[in-house]
Amino acid sequence: MIRFDSLSEARPDSIDKVTGRAVYATDLDIPGMLHGHVVRSTAVHARIRALDVGAARAAPGVVDVLCGADVASLGCWGLVLKDRPILALDKVRYVGEPIAVVIADSAEAAENAAELVEVDYAALPRVPDSKAALAPGAALVHESHSPLEDFYFRGGARPIDGTNVFHRFLSEVGDVAAAEAAAAHVHEDHFSFPPVFHYALEPHTAIADFREDGLTIWSGAQSPAGVQKVVSRLFGLPLAKVRIVVPYVGGGFGGKASVKIEPLVAAASWKVRRPVRIAQSLSDSMLTCRRLGARITIRTAVDREGLILAKSADIVLDGGAYADTGSAVATKAANRIIGPYVIPNLRLEARAVYTNTVPGAAFRSIGGPQAVWAAECHMDNVAAAIGLSPVEFRLRNLAARGQRIRPDLRPLDMDMGELMGLVRQAMGAASAATGPDARGLALAASDPGIVAIGNALVRLKIDGSVLVAMASVEIGQGVHATMARIAAETLNQPFGSVTVLPTDTGTAPFDWGTGASRSTVIVGASVEAAALDAATQMLDLAAEALAQDRTALALVPGGIATPQGFRSFHEVFHLAYGVDSGEVIGRGALNPRSRGGALREAPLFWETAAGMAEIDVDEDTGAIRLRRYASAADVGRVINRVSAEGQDEGASVQGLGHTLFEALEFEDGQPVNASPVDYNIPTLDDVPDDFHTILVEHHDGPGPGGAKGMGEGAILPIAPAIANALFARYGVRVNDLPLTPEKVWRALRARS
Amino acid sequence: MSAAEIDLRFTLNGREVQARVPSHTLLLDLVRERFGLKGSKRSCDMEVCGACTMMLDGNLVSSCTTLAADADGRAVVTVEGLTPAAGLSRVQEALVLHGAVQCGFCTPGFVVAITHLLQQHPNADDEQIRRHLRGNLCRCTGYVKILAAVRSLAGTEPGLQPLAHERT
Repeated sequence: MIRFDSLSEARPDSIDKVTGRAVYATDLDIPGMLHGHVVRSTAVHARIRALDVGAARAAPGVVDVLCGADVASLGCWGLVLKDRPILALDKVRYVGEPIAVVIADSAEAAENAAELVEVDYAALPRVPDSKAALAPGAALVHESHSPLEDFYFRGGARPIDGTNVFHRFLSEVGDVAAAEAAAAHVHEDHFSFPPVFHYALEPHTAIADFREDGLTIWSGAQSPAGVQKVVSRLFGLPLAKVRIVVPYVGGGFGGKASVKIEPLVAAASWKVRRPVRIAQSLSDSMLTCRRLGARITIRTAVDREGLILAKSADIVLDGGAYADTGSAVATKAANRIIGPYVIPNLRLEARAVYTNTVPGAAFRSIGGPQAVWAAECHMDNVAAAIGLSPVEFRLRNLAARGQRIRPDLRPLDMDMGELMGLVRQAMGAASAATGPDARGLALAASDPGIVAIGNALVRLKIDGSVLVAMASVEIGQGVHATMARIAAETLNQPFGSVTVLPTDTGTAPFDWGTGASRSTVIVGASVEAAALDAATQMLDLAAEALAQDRTALALVPGGIATPQGFRSFHEVFHLAYGVDSGEVIGRGALNPRSRGGALREAPLFWETAAGMAEIDVDEDTGAIRLRRYASAADVGRVINRVSAEGQDEGASVQGLGHTLFEALEFEDGQPVNASPVDYNIPTLDDVPDDFHTILVEHHDGPGPGGAKGMGEGAILPIAPAIANALFARYGVRVNDLPLTPEKVWRALRARS
Repeated sequence: MSAAEIDLRFTLNGREVQARVPSHTLLLDLVRERFGLKGSKRSCDMEVCGACTMMLDGNLVSSCTTLAADADGRAVVTVEGLTPAAGLSRVQEALVLHGAVQCGFCTPGFVVAITHLLQQHPNADDEQIRRHLRGNLCRCTGYVKILAAVRSLAGTEPGLQPLAHERT
């Protein structure tokens, strides 16, 4: 059993968390703080004919009510399209859209008064799902498109005027039609993936304090720099006057990435000029964002030897009422549907469309789960159609380390065959109860690590203690401990001597954000560079102060090793400055110009995953139980083994949820299960006893010590692996997630 | 309309406390807002997730759906009450060492529920562990390391033999 050897080696944040001392945004109390409650649309798509907040404004404890009219002059915001008002102005586009904020001296008073707000709606034609969005003559969720270029990501959305398509991505390599015409076999499948709720246990919560001299926001945000940029532009404030503070975050998974409720909370404080807190309920958060659902048509052409000649995919993503970062989700889905295979001809099209449902958002390996669900189920279907085993078919088509899967993507930096062998080995002999057949395999290669801009400061103090300032958010992944370990190793100081400052744009240098498996590589390399800079400065100072040859000196815990013995940092500073005081400040940065431009090519590294599942199926009920699971990832280098394993275990079990039962459902645009009672996630009971997490290290990644990013890949293979096990054992294929007992039972019955 | 106020006296983590609150006040709000003990977390509000788990007279309750009035004359224990003045309890230490903590929002509820489990079943087997903890949701860890931590405490970690005389 892998564990930390002692508390002094363990993650410091976990000690705060087990004692209940860890402070989250939901625990903060800012002096003078008022409480906001959001009034939400109950209409799917409607004009607001009238909004009456008079009774709410007069209710006990209410200070003010913020309405669309108050914020209309501030305009719209967005990350890839400027499509989103702070509060609904003239129309609402989904059930749950914020219409007003009641601001009161207690959360209870605000919530009670919110019930007094009266809205008169005039219904508009609905766009309930992605099929309706693309239908000829469909109603438009947004009448026009305002794309932003290079604002949040490089590039931007490519909307189609006069339609609900807010982004279309097309990648063509070779000639798919010619390859299909020459193929021995062409196989086509259709798959779907539902919207899924992130279900971070801490609901979205933010506090804003708008003052004459600037704006401070405390929020469980994954992308503090993104929040800072958006609110700075909305309110016309210099970036230096906007401070985003992120305490411990109670889970995010992409649901707190980019920008969510912060502009709304800031506007509430702007209106009343006092700190305002909005603490959403979990049900409110279910109406705030969710993963984009997908409909995917995928087609593969193979030759007589089972070599893939061509692949084409048509991916339609349901982006909900506002784009958020849905364009990137679509582009990534098209990239991630290729898989780790050599395919000479490709036609990959992805469209993200607006619908009158809860806005879509990034969610762990954006676009990946949807794409890999289709791609890897389809691989087994093709294998079966041409009479090859799933393993043999994959082996014949795997791309080798160093090969490109598409000309515009960096060559693969891992050996997928190695990962496939490792999961097979970990599974061991099949259980007697299920027989040898109920096993399924799936592979994935995804392209994370976006926006290679990171910065860090590392301060070496006179007593040997170390302060790290960087903006990666401690969201549970252990990034603060990882950065502490990198700084400690680089400076050769004990792990316990390093303190990582809480995330605060007022003290941390710029970083793009926490997501896309990028922190260990991009911010980690920045911390390493900053620590090296601090080490260099310290050794230079020591060489001068001690009149020693610089090359004869080395950092050791608490000081410098010299040919004449140990000299403490105190002694060095004292000699150099004439007083027992001082520190060195190391600065490290990574950007697309670093390392001779080597970081420019995308992806920065490949995130890989292989998964193998063994299942039990209750043939009378259709219920699937995961009996065993093994996942493997090439992570380059493990910095904190316990945490790294935990990332892949957590990702796999999240994937188990969307495999077996999770779906945020809408009926004609109306959410039907947006409550914790009706929407279930995996419990301890769903996790198999036999669970293997394999981390491969070849020390060949771009991060410290050869690390690559990780933490997202393991969510990818589990759904297709389980569906492939069902297919292998029973010959039935369920194309639409989740694999509910009813669907499985019906499929089994249709077979017999 | 102001709600009727009631006077409550109870023990909170072993200390006698009293409070006058509106009768509809929830135990979670009383403990978090009035007594400032913010270890217990609010998440689902519906007795689904276990993040607000406390012990009431030695039984587990979801404090988000328990009236503060129900605590009157009884003993309430929260994660703060299970934390030694210095260091960690053995449940807390096991969770830390096994890496069973990620975002930590569910963790205080797990600390309370695991402590209760081991009070009831010091050598809990997997069936008892699963039954006892299925009411506590964690979205980060996938539970694998939580299960390992609890097994280590119950002496049922693979490779370790449970002590027969401690079996209940």
